[in-house]
Amino acid sequence: MAGKSGRTINATPQNVWKKRLISWEGVLVVILVAVLILCRAMSANYTFENVLREMPKYLSEMFLMLPMAFILMMGEIDISVGSIVCLSGTLGCFAVNAGLPFPVALLIMLGSGIICGAINGLIIVMFPELPSMIVTLGTQIIFRGIAEIMLGGGGSISATNADGFRAIGKSIGNIPMVFFLVVIASVIFVLISTKMKFGRELMAIGSNRLTAFYSGVKVKKVLFITYVTMGAFSALCAIFFTAATYGANTTTGKGFEMDAIAMAVFGGISSTGGKGKMIGGIISAFVIICLRIGLGQKNMNSQLILLIIGVLLIGAVVLPNISAMITAKKKKASV
Amino acid sequence: MKMRELSLIFVLVLLIAVVSIINPAFFTIENLLEVLKNNVVTLIPTLGMLMVLLIGGIDISIASTMALAGMAVGLLFKYNMISSTFLGIVIALAIGAVCGLLMGVIIGLGNVPPIIATMGGMYIFRALAYLVGNSQWAGAEALGTYKEFALKDILGVNVTIWITILCYIIFFILLKWTKFGRNIYAVGSNAEAAEISGIKVARVKIAVYTIMGLLCGLTGALNTSIYASAQPNSLTGKEMDVIAACVIGGVSMSGGRGSVGGALLGGLVLAVIAKALPLVHIPSIAQNTIKGVLIVVVIIVNVLTQRAMNRRALARREM
Repeated sequence: MAGKSGRTINATPQNVWKKRLISWEGVLVVILVAVLILCRAMSANYTFENVLREMPKYLSEMFLMLPMAFILMMGEIDISVGSIVCLSGTLGCFAVNAGLPFPVALLIMLGSGIICGAINGLIIVMFPELPSMIVTLGTQIIFRGIAEIMLGGGGSISATNADGFRAIGKSIGNIPMVFFLVVIASVIFVLISTKMKFGRELMAIGSNRLTAFYSGVKVKKVLFITYVTMGAFSALCAIFFTAATYGANTTTGKGFEMDAIAMAVFGGISSTGGKGKMIGGIISAFVIICLRIGLGQKNMNSQLILLIIGVLLIGAVVLPNISAMITAKKKKASV
Repeated sequence: MKMRELSLIFVLVLLIAVVSIINPAFFTIENLLEVLKNNVVTLIPTLGMLMVLLIGGIDISIASTMALAGMAVGLLFKYNMISSTFLGIVIALAIGAVCGLLMGVIIGLGNVPPIIATMGGMYIFRALAYLVGNSQWAGAEALGTYKEFALKDILGVNVTIWITILCYIIFFILLKWTKFGRNIYAVGSNAEAAEISGIKVARVKIAVYTIMGLLCGLTGALNTSIYASAQPNSLTGKEMDVIAACVIGGVSMSGGRGSVGGALLGGLVLAVIAKALPLVHIPSIAQNTIKGVLIVVVIIVNVLTQRAMNRRALARREM
């Protein structure tokens, strides 16, 4: 089917698997395997069971990555999530210490997260002129500030009645409960982004907001729902983080937003919107988590892990750009 | 533009007046100079951030760069590698410039979104700040003569304040009356148009991030001297203060709009609030909440006035 331009359009894709392998997600799987082999070679303690045992501490950040990927796909950003984790965790500890039943405490945590997300969403929807970066910068300071006021001079609280949190932190067999939840949440998010209208609408908003609006996408509604989801999942992260630490302080969750964004961007989800796949973010999150556990077992300086993540992050964005530039130049030269 | 700066001056004067009436101890020359000296580490990088925001970028790696530069100087003094204050500051400047250049090249030539590139830089430089000293830190006794630098006064005003004033004068001239300054505004308003009209956009970007790094190096060096200690975790979160100062000062996050005067006023408003809260018996714990509310209120008021102005302009055209 030669078109006017002389290009042929092939309707039936061939070599689906080859294409999948050279896509970024394929590269990520290879990196994941390489990380696992490398860590196993470095440390004999890097067994399946040990990795699973250490995972809950890091897995709670996965809850942030999933909705953060949606926000990035729309070309927006949310840097207030770490503070929502802090506020929600603080409220949860206060509720438990006040003698409220554990489910009520959970509801308070979830509710506070949803309210915080709704505040972000409301401001962003009402004032589309404002970049989400600066809105969430403001709310980031406010949410943590409220937690600071609640925590008072000491700046920390420990859950005295932590039975409920302990129950949540339990494992079924070898596998921690939070792992199942993360897998379920990941499957749901992948399905939303690939099979549902909502996922397509996200992408449409990310590639061209005006076009999306004129094609009937309710841009404001989608934005608001996503930010509320982000708030709710921040609370979920707070619940499992508290279940791992039994307390909260003024620095709880500091930098979580950057970790979540790093996981998503390393997974190939562009921060400028409209590009990337959910599954990439999930695989990259596991790459980073497995790397952290492995380097942690080697008693490697925790700062070195930051360095590696930083390099990976920049590399993941620079390398495709450079290769695209080279192909563009080649094309120009051949014409 | 001018309206905005006038209203900020009004807010600042009102703030100082109210606080001075409640607590006369605030409005003394010594206290005001103290406020300035304590905020040198916010005011200087605000200039660099202004330029970065003007070209439509953002830099969240600055606090890490400052920590790295400050640590390097502190360690050089600790292990007696150097003894000259001047040399120490030059080395800090060089380190900052290299960090900034790296960011600029990645953003300008690699086409990486600034938030992602500088987020990577934030991790990398912070990690380097820990790694250079093997997680050691330099205390007051280790810094020797270097810590006395920030104690010097010239004409009764601290030397760090003089440096800040000098920076503001240089940047005021640079942005207003030089070709480079106008290029920055051009790139921020419309990068494509700037490129077509012959401005080397990538080069401007690299230069701006390098200058940002240079200022971070200076700030890091001053921070080590002012607080007489070099710690790898120092100034964590400073980037948000600096961005907040710019935004309160009316610098647009989408580029092309903002001025040195506005950035200065934004920084001063934040500085006065931080100092004034304890004096008017608001616990300093609430300081961050008030700062956050202020940022949100300012940006929303900004949008509302912009909308009103646009509506008025439209109405005039319809007549």
